[in-house]
Amino acid sequence: MENVQTGNVRPARPASPRPEKPKKKSGKLLILLILLLLLIAVGIGAVIYLLLRDSDGLEMDDNARVGILPGIDLDQRRAELQQELDESMISFSINTSPVFENGGAAGNLMLENPGNNAKLLVVEIYADDTGELLYKSKAIPTGSYIETARLDKVLGPGEYAATAYFNAYREDDQSYIGQTGAAIKITVLS
Amino acid sequence: MKRKLFSRVIPALLTVAMLLTSAYATSYQSTDVAIGSSNQVTMVGEIAPTIMSVTMPSYVPFNIARSIEGENKVVSPRITMVNKSSVPVTLDVVYTSVDLSRLQGTSWSNNGQSISDNQIAIGFQLETIANQAPTSLAGTKWLQANVEQKLNITSMGAFGSSTMYVVGALGNAVPENTTFTVTPTFVVSLVQ
Repeated sequence: MENVQTGNVRPARPASPRPEKPKKKSGKLLILLILLLLLIAVGIGAVIYLLLRDSDGLEMDDNARVGILPGIDLDQRRAELQQELDESMISFSINTSPVFENGGAAGNLMLENPGNNAKLLVVEIYADDTGELLYKSKAIPTGSYIETARLDKVLGPGEYAATAYFNAYREDDQSYIGQTGAAIKITVLS
Repeated sequence: MKRKLFSRVIPALLTVAMLLTSAYATSYQSTDVAIGSSNQVTMVGEIAPTIMSVTMPSYVPFNIARSIEGENKVVSPRITMVNKSSVPVTLDVVYTSVDLSRLQGTSWSNNGQSISDNQIAIGFQLETIANQAPTSLAGTKWLQANVEQKLNITSMGAFGSSTMYVVGALGNAVPENTTFTVTPTFVVSLVQ
């Protein structure tokens, strides 16, 4: 009687000659050989180092840095300063004479942070005579603008000399760079 | 006979033609604009606000060293300000914050051309030779420390630009290898 089995058909596994053991042995031998060679190389290096140290040769100072001493090359220093300055340059636009219908209404401040600025701008407007903060924006992203806004302080009718300060911040970590200002005249009609 | 007919028909034709022309002219004028009058047109004028667009520094880094040859002891970047507006603008320094706390025994001078051994003075000078930092202190506009001032640095025409450098003087007794900070606040305004 035939021995019948059911289930998935599997290909017949060829008889293995079992060659793994000699391969493992030769692999271990190779690793040992490499380690031995490394030890020899380290040993030779150490001997050379000791021989050189004991001889009259100069020992290199671990404190020495590769490069030109800062401050010696003025052109290089100037180039570094130029790079710092370029980062600090602010471009902005503002209406020099914004008009507000009344103290609580929005006026045409027209604040712009142009697309080539690569920094965030926060605008603060101070009255020249009292030094009072009249307006403070939130951060204006690069390539955007605020056309109209209400002042934070309600002003009576009249004209007010003021200075708008543009505070620049880095886009990546929002750290402060610096500020620059623009003189404006605010008009409140009623 | 022919002459009689001609002399009677032609005036009659001319009379009819004249009457027709005047009748058409009357009807034309009655439906169109009367000669010598006009329709009402409302003209709306909007005053465009004056927008100031500029590029200027918010921070000016510089180095100062006694070893630099010449009167000017400052290594300065080239500071170019640009007026992108259609109106002329002027640039002033309104305040300069100075911190010399790390320089023991050192004081500020408002004029770098006459400083004592323990004084420092910093100012701005416009570029006179292209791409060349000044070596002398002549014509320098000196910054005053920690007081309000309205120091006019430069003016720029419409769509113009201006270039300047930081310059300065360093007394012989001022200690080196330390840092100090000078932070001028620039304010741009319309030329009045």
